[in-house]
Amino acid sequence: MRYTLVGYLVSETHKSIWRNRMSSFLSCGTTALALFLLGVAIVISLNLQYIFTDVQSQPEIQAYLKMETTDQEAVSALKACEAMNGVAEVRFVSKEEAFSELREMFQDKAAVLEGIENPLPASIRLTTFRAEDVPGVVEQLKVLPCVEDVIYQEEASRNLAVLGRVSQALSLGGTVIVGLVAITVIGNTTRMTIEARRHEIAIMKLVGATDGFVVGPFVLAGIVLGMFGGLLGAGLSIGLYNYLTTSLGSILPFIPILSLTRDTALNITGILVLTGVAVGTLGSALSLRRHLKV
Amino acid sequence: MTALIQVRDVSKAYPGGMLALNRVSLDIRKGEFVFIVGQSGAGKSTLIKLLYREEVPTEGRVIVAGKDLTRMRRLEVPFLRRRIGVVFQDFRLLADRTVAENVEFALRVTGFNGRDAKKAVAQVLSMVGLRSRHSAYPGELSGGEQQRVAIARSLVRNPDILIADEPTGNLDPDTSMEIFRLIERANRYGTTVVVATHARHIVDAMRKRVIELRRGTVVRDVRRGAYDD
Repeated sequence: MRYTLVGYLVSETHKSIWRNRMSSFLSCGTTALALFLLGVAIVISLNLQYIFTDVQSQPEIQAYLKMETTDQEAVSALKACEAMNGVAEVRFVSKEEAFSELREMFQDKAAVLEGIENPLPASIRLTTFRAEDVPGVVEQLKVLPCVEDVIYQEEASRNLAVLGRVSQALSLGGTVIVGLVAITVIGNTTRMTIEARRHEIAIMKLVGATDGFVVGPFVLAGIVLGMFGGLLGAGLSIGLYNYLTTSLGSILPFIPILSLTRDTALNITGILVLTGVAVGTLGSALSLRRHLKV
Repeated sequence: MTALIQVRDVSKAYPGGMLALNRVSLDIRKGEFVFIVGQSGAGKSTLIKLLYREEVPTEGRVIVAGKDLTRMRRLEVPFLRRRIGVVFQDFRLLADRTVAENVEFALRVTGFNGRDAKKAVAQVLSMVGLRSRHSAYPGELSGGEQQRVAIARSLVRNPDILIADEPTGNLDPDTSMEIFRLIERANRYGTTVVVATHARHIVDAMRKRVIELRRGTVVRDVRRGAYDD
């Protein structure tokens, strides 16, 4: 009896998807698009976390010196830094040392740096005793004549956070809008199937089929469409991300970009598939509630 | 003995205020064969629909096999309908399924497994004389044959009650008589039968209990009656 029920559900679900294959394809595609955007939001979030960690590992304040700075000017700047209130440590990083650090960082992509003339400026790296000392030290550094630019964690973090929030909001907003469209399209596919099978459904109810038995194939069809949409969305977002990281990694090796591990990719796929299932269930359930008075 | 079907002071008004039934009361005992007669609009179909809970009364109670249909929860309705076979004038068969599949449908959607279902289908098709046509599609059958398939579908679960709403409305007199002989045969096996019909010659020939409705009210209820007084 159980086998018959499962067989019936599978067979009717297959029929329901196949009968409205254009609409089913559209449902699946829209869900995939929504979940692709969700996938993008997830990888942006993961990258932000990665970049934050990277920023945290950098020195607290970096003062980049102008390219034309002489050794004497650098030494007097270093002394000025040591004299500043709140400064705990000061270290001079020469152009050669900075380039050497870069080589070390990208030792697996050494070819990229080959033949390139050192583009990096010398810098002074400082740490403060307390976080509150950072703004005052930064202000004093900015007025030193040989200092080109000052980068410090708080600013970098703040800028990254703004950038991250904007891009996440855009992706999540897109996910919600396209997700609602996906729910509507799946609902419409369900409605078309209900219309095509209205006569059959009436007979089913007449001969004593339970509501669960009547609606089962419709809900299952919604779940299947959502699930395939999730798989497609995951494939697209992960595939595109891997393509972009490979391309960007060779063009812009200085930007820290997270490489997706197998586990992370599987987790993202899991999240998108489950969301797809939820979208499919919701779409079909709402349509059943509206168009099938069972 | 308690009646299998009890209708108590039932009224049914449709939206717009049209009163289809007005304080109807009747009892039908197990094993009875009952004709419901009356002009179009007299309330026959409404009464029939109340019996398998397609409709619920505005007032009064309908009790079938001990279950009060007016208080029945929606979840219980399918289980009531498994005890009732229903036949309509327009047959209501699935055009894309064979005779056997149409009959088997009533079993499959209520969870019967394949082997038992096929055995029951073969038996009921033999009973209605359609065993040799089990692979035909409804479009390949005559009206009488299609109605026999519908009867087979309604009987395949061996129901307590067979309800028919104008089962011969689309058929010629000879074929109609064949259909009623079939329904009578089911009645002889113990199934209680309630038929709403305009088929005067059949009602007159069969001499069963006749309940006449006029403008939603029972005006006649006779044990071995004719179509008219």
